[in-house]
Amino acid sequence: MKTKHYIYQKGHHIVTPLAVGSEANFEAIATGHSPLRQYRQQWDIPEPFFAALFPVETFHETSLQQYTRFENIAIQAAEGAIQRAGIDASNPRVLFVISTTKGNVEALENEKAQPANQAYLWHSAQLITSHFGNHNTPIVVSNACISGCAAQITAFNMLQYSDLYDYVVVIGAEVLSRFIIAGFQSFKALSPERCKPFDKNRCGLNLGEAAAAIVYARCEDETQIPDQGIVMTAGAINNDANHISGPSRTGEGLKRSINKVTENFDTKQIAFINAHGTATLYNDDMESIALQRCGLQHIPVNSLKGYYGHTLGAAGVMEVILSSIALQKQMVIKSLGTEEPGTAQPLNVCMENTSAHGNAFLKLISGFGGSNAALLFTLKHASL
Amino acid sequence: MEELINKLKEEIIDVLNLEGMKPEDIDENAPLFGEGLGLDSIDALELIVLLEKNYGIKLKNANEGKEIFKSVRVMAEYINEHRTK
Amino acid sequence: MTEQSFNTLIKCEITASTAKVNGQTILQRTDASEDWFSQLYHAIGMQYPKFFKMDRLCKAGILGAELLLKDFDYDRENVKADWGIILMNSASSLDNDRHFQETIATDNYYPSPAVFVYTLANIVTGEIAIRHKTGGESSFYVMPSFDEQLMNTLVNQAYMANPELTHIICGWVNVDGEEVDVRMKVVER
Repeated sequence: MKTKHYIYQKGHHIVTPLAVGSEANFEAIATGHSPLRQYRQQWDIPEPFFAALFPVETFHETSLQQYTRFENIAIQAAEGAIQRAGIDASNPRVLFVISTTKGNVEALENEKAQPANQAYLWHSAQLITSHFGNHNTPIVVSNACISGCAAQITAFNMLQYSDLYDYVVVIGAEVLSRFIIAGFQSFKALSPERCKPFDKNRCGLNLGEAAAAIVYARCEDETQIPDQGIVMTAGAINNDANHISGPSRTGEGLKRSINKVTENFDTKQIAFINAHGTATLYNDDMESIALQRCGLQHIPVNSLKGYYGHTLGAAGVMEVILSSIALQKQMVIKSLGTEEPGTAQPLNVCMENTSAHGNAFLKLISGFGGSNAALLFTLKHASL
Repeated sequence: MEELINKLKEEIIDVLNLEGMKPEDIDENAPLFGEGLGLDSIDALELIVLLEKNYGIKLKNANEGKEIFKSVRVMAEYINEHRTK
Repeated sequence: MTEQSFNTLIKCEITASTAKVNGQTILQRTDASEDWFSQLYHAIGMQYPKFFKMDRLCKAGILGAELLLKDFDYDRENVKADWGIILMNSASSLDNDRHFQETIATDNYYPSPAVFVYTLANIVTGEIAIRHKTGGESSFYVMPSFDEQLMNTLVNQAYMANPELTHIICGWVNVDGEEVDVRMKVVER
């Protein structure tokens, strides 16, 4: 494929314990709201934990009763995004790319009693796409914490380098369970209170449930991008080849990803950086080191984990949507939870909602398995 | 104490999957982390589970492990003092 | 569709009873009492104690990568940003997830961090990246069955998107109970 395409967001939708809808979620966090709270005895887990779980009302829609919690919220997110994009999702030129880390893992509690294949990610994915009458085999991206961004890179590549599809629906969804909470607790990775990204006293992450979807479209001519449209300019993934669970001490993989996406790009145009900012000691230090090595430490940086917690497979998709809206509104959302920044290398952590200056934002994400992704998005102005 | 040290060595080899290691290969006075056995952060977390599961000792945070896991002997002394089972 | 932009250098296959490199059988399982992955590990003269800490999916992937690269001439000392990994399977990490589920039973609740760390499908790409010092893209996909055409499309796209990539370790690595199905290759642009 020789023609260069512009890959842009045609519609998106977010479903979280805080609000339903991309704009509604943005308004809620812009006014400082967060669904994070403490849970005791949830799923019979002995230790209390701080998280954001969907209220039962989220699952009341009667037409979705045959689906699991995971499939249900994934469908809700996709439905909203598809509606806003105004596309026919059953068209064979539409591909679904689904990001999750654990899907229906709670089916393992009594696997034999569940419908066949319920715990298998490809099976859930097929139920989701069948709901929309789409017969293409969905691609499931399961790349740990970077899944949501990796899925958008897969969508980008499918639209940019192959002529198989006109639209890609990227869904990122995660529900929590005894399995996931117990695992993170055994890792001593959870904060007993609201997490504090980039703070000098940060002591771990919070987990959260969420679903988000973006419909990506392509066009050859820049004028076809709607005014105020968000264009995915570049994406890159690099591995640290260092440790399966510990972030790199040098930020090498993330540095290479950032350098790759900002190559030939005037970084003065970057209004803000939406970092991973999980609030674990090592992740946030690693990001600060990578940004410093790339010479981008002066750009305002935020983390949205203080609002929603780490939403795992949903994080990369949801945080890109919220950052896209922020860019359109020329605003940087404050990093909720950060009291006194303190990372290995100093960062310009956004402590209050402020106005943004620039027509691009950078999204960073890193995770288990040593992978690091960076994505660059730009805003289409009427003047272009 | 010597009996506990030997039992602990066997348990460590078992839970950390130290293939081909025998209890006599581990020097109870040598550091468990760093050089020596080549253990890493996940192994440290697994040793915390071992303390709880086999000896009823609950550590509040992973940092406490740093002192306790200095060597098998230090670990055994700590267990002797704090065990609830 | 775009033309294939790469050549296959080496291929390997591992099932529950055989291991092949470029179609040639290099080991057949004979002793059912010994763990098959350990048998293969020793047979190819691998020396990597971390292997024994891994879950079965990672063992399968690490053995596959070892079969591909043990006699291959490449830089083993430095992290290579021009090497990538793209793998897929159908069971993600469910084989090990079932194992972790056992550690969180209500009457015997001791969640194991060493088991939990392997409850992500892409850890196998991380283990291969560490062993062979590959620092480029690493991706993991879950599909109902091995679709070689899709694999080749993804590899093609990775090459187009990342001009610096020269080599990609790619293929199918599935471990699900008794089933072992590894079909991997190293390709070069």
